[in-house]
Amino acid sequence: MAGVLDVADLEITYRTARGAAKAVAGVSFRIATGEYLGLVGESGCGKSTIAKAILGILPANGRVTGGRIDFEGTDLVRVAPAELRRLRWSRLALVPQSAMNGFDPVYTIAQQMDEAIRAHAALPAEAREARLRELFAMVGLDASRLADFPHQFSGGMRQRAMIAMAMVLDPTLVVADEPTTGLDVIVQDQILARIKEIHDRLGKTMLLITHDMAVVAENCDRIVVMYAGKVMEHGGEAVFQAPWHPYTLGLCNAFPDIDDGDRELISIAGAPPDLVDPPAGCRFAARCPFATARCREAEPPLVEVAPGHVAACHHLDRVDAMRERARDPATWLAAAAAVR
Amino acid sequence: MADVKAPVRPALAGPLREAAVAVARHASGLRVILRHRTATVGLAIIVLFIAAAVLAPLLAPYGPFEVVYGPDRGVVRLSPPGAANWLGTTNQGMDVLSQLLWGARVALAVGLLSALGSVLLGTLIGLVSGYFGGWIDEVLMRLTDVAYGVPFLPFAMVVTSIAKPSLALVILLVIFFLWRTTARVIRSQVLSLKTRPFVWAARAAGAGHGKILFLHIAPNVLPLSFLYIAIGVQTGVMLEAALSFLGFGDPHVQSWGIMLNAAFQAGAMRSAWWWVLPPGLALSAFVMSIFMLTRAYEEILNPRLKAI
Amino acid sequence: MTGFRRYVVRRLLLLAFVVWCILSIMFVLFQLLPGDPTAIFVDDNFSPEMIDRQKQLWGLNDPLWVQYLRYVGNMLTFDFGNSFFQIEPVAHIMADKVQNTCLMIVPALIVSVVLGTLIGAVAGWRRGSAFEQATVATSLFLHSVPSFFVGILALMIFAYQLRWLPSGGMVGLGGPEGLWEMIASRDYWVHLLLPGLVLVSREITGPILLLRSSMLEVKGSDFLDILRAKGLSEHRIITHATRNALLPLVTYVAVMTGLLFQGQVLLEIIFAWPGIGRELVQALNDLDYPVAQAALYVMALVTLLLNLVADLLYGVIDPRVTYD
Repeated sequence: MAGVLDVADLEITYRTARGAAKAVAGVSFRIATGEYLGLVGESGCGKSTIAKAILGILPANGRVTGGRIDFEGTDLVRVAPAELRRLRWSRLALVPQSAMNGFDPVYTIAQQMDEAIRAHAALPAEAREARLRELFAMVGLDASRLADFPHQFSGGMRQRAMIAMAMVLDPTLVVADEPTTGLDVIVQDQILARIKEIHDRLGKTMLLITHDMAVVAENCDRIVVMYAGKVMEHGGEAVFQAPWHPYTLGLCNAFPDIDDGDRELISIAGAPPDLVDPPAGCRFAARCPFATARCREAEPPLVEVAPGHVAACHHLDRVDAMRERARDPATWLAAAAAVR
Repeated sequence: MADVKAPVRPALAGPLREAAVAVARHASGLRVILRHRTATVGLAIIVLFIAAAVLAPLLAPYGPFEVVYGPDRGVVRLSPPGAANWLGTTNQGMDVLSQLLWGARVALAVGLLSALGSVLLGTLIGLVSGYFGGWIDEVLMRLTDVAYGVPFLPFAMVVTSIAKPSLALVILLVIFFLWRTTARVIRSQVLSLKTRPFVWAARAAGAGHGKILFLHIAPNVLPLSFLYIAIGVQTGVMLEAALSFLGFGDPHVQSWGIMLNAAFQAGAMRSAWWWVLPPGLALSAFVMSIFMLTRAYEEILNPRLKAI
Repeated sequence: MTGFRRYVVRRLLLLAFVVWCILSIMFVLFQLLPGDPTAIFVDDNFSPEMIDRQKQLWGLNDPLWVQYLRYVGNMLTFDFGNSFFQIEPVAHIMADKVQNTCLMIVPALIVSVVLGTLIGAVAGWRRGSAFEQATVATSLFLHSVPSFFVGILALMIFAYQLRWLPSGGMVGLGGPEGLWEMIASRDYWVHLLLPGLVLVSREITGPILLLRSSMLEVKGSDFLDILRAKGLSEHRIITHATRNALLPLVTYVAVMTGLLFQGQVLLEIIFAWPGIGRELVQALNDLDYPVAQAALYVMALVTLLLNLVADLLYGVIDPRVTYD
């Protein structure tokens, strides 16, 4: 199976005042052509860091310290700057967090979209103009608003314009990094529907980064669950239909169940571990209701639990019992008490 | 920590306690300043100038206008620095060191009086304008606009040449020039302060306008007023020096600006460097030391200014 | 755009109000002038009729309010009357002196703004570098040292000690006279060098410190990441950042020019530059009140107009500013 993106043993380290923090510690996954992959986890788990590393926009104190990001046969970690510049936006584009001001406030939307085309292709002005109109129509924006400045758009419109800008050069891979934060719920659905539509209609390869398990369940073909810089579970729809990892079980509890609307939402108590000085053993052990002494000593490897489905837990043999108990809020409350 | 933003305090805290808190914040502000290297240097230089000003009668070998006579009973004109006159003499035979020391008194007096006057006036106008709003605000702010439209140095030159030049007039002019900035800054501060819960609470408790304004709001703008006093001292001294240098100063006092004017008129820049450099350097050192202090204070109020 | 138009009208009304206030203050001031302005022309030998003729000539026999209205009207139409000593009408003298002042401050301002913007932008972009720290320290030093003492020092060293540069004036004796001949002449530039550099040494600090801090602010913006992800060249990205960081500079430069126009008196005196500030000082010393009055008015007016420009430009260059 030809992969568009192949991330292997990726390690990303931030220099902080307290020392080196390994935000991503050996993450591997791949995205096949036309696939829609969801990367899910709590904030601070390293998922956005991976998105930034793919686009090469890590902040100044962050660096890839190991592994590869293979994109259509080019290693994005070691690629020459000129080649990276050529690939950016023409082959891989980004839809950023909507809370983020992705547009330069002093240029019009059209100028900024046009700038992306001109940086990569020599097209006549009319062709570029036509392209912008076509894209605005695709995301449901009125072409007359092209000459507007970003502040004249609402948050939802800005995000749709951002999607249009991501599509401007017809890239192979689109990375959507928490594209709906800060938008109200109805607009969130519209934005996700647009992205899904682009995936379905144009056959784009997508990487969606989110903390929302329900969003992934609704949109993605496959899913990677991350916790504290590591992959906990990785697989197809089975990951949220029948999770193997206690963390995934917890995450599924924290969001409304599509099949069982009455079930109460339970959140996982506690906070992720300190990445400057991570604990030995399983990183989730401190918050896990099923953790044993072994979990705190040895790190569990990723084990294939079904074809194309892996999970990293010492207690995969007890998965039925864990699934059963995970549905009971008391289980998580007890773990919460233990955390305190 | 000195902080411009007032923390939300218990609504029923007594006004006296609020004042005490404001004072305490100042004291700790001073401690923070002392931890700042440039600020400490600035403070040391200022203390030196204050000492020179206070002790001028003891330190200065001659009076500000006293003519030095040599052993041959002749006037010692334009003598270079030496054992008798450490910093030399002027073309009229006056001792430069003595003039310099007496000049520190004038600088300090002008600086402090004009700073206190302008900040008092500016704070008052800012408080009233921001607190009452409406037509009072409108009138006071248009007054500020007019004050901003008056070019200071030219205006002061015209006024001093119409009236008899005197130090008091110079101070009044500097006050007239300086109050406007303080007024605008304090006003905008008051606009945000008056929406804070502790002001509502005081109003609900039946406090009158005067009480709210002076016991609840005023203590919270004090850190800013303090900053403007320091800036005012610096600007006041600079403006007096500039005005005097241009020949519009009070001829009856010996200020650094007057010294520079006399030296400039006499062409001392060609011949008598010892007459030009001391007042110029003293002025620069004084102005810069206050700048070091205010900058540090500003950096504490607004850490983003800092380099690194 | 109607919001903007309403704002412009409001702003113009305010300008008119302030100008009127300043004119009134000046009228009162010059009414208080020591002695009768005619005293200068009036000889002890003059007969009472001759004195009265003089007063008639100067309109001093009219009621005060007529004099006031005439005064305001004259000032607004730049009819400044005649100098007591110079043959030319005051309006011509003013035009000439304003031009001379501009000949000193405009080149210095251009150098300060262009160079200061570049240095400040680079300092902000390279946050934490030795270059940034040295730039900030030097700027703060130059900003706080009194510039007229710097001028005196420069004069002492370069004109009197080293004798490299002329000690004052705009051109040498018998130098070029017309504006364009002057600008084209070496003489003018040699004379400008010293006062110009002293001016730059102070005025450059503003753009440097401003650009640095607004660049730091822009550097934290999210849109820079997107520009990078778009595959733009580093050059294009810095252009975007600078364009954003420049917004506050435009207003700053207008205000700074206005302040400079009234603040350069000191340097004009030190370097014997025949500008409007030096003219005011001389007129006050000579009791040439028509000239003094006109100089004060012109200096106030230039400052006010530049402040107006600053306020209006602010809305034009930043698309986010609204007036509704």
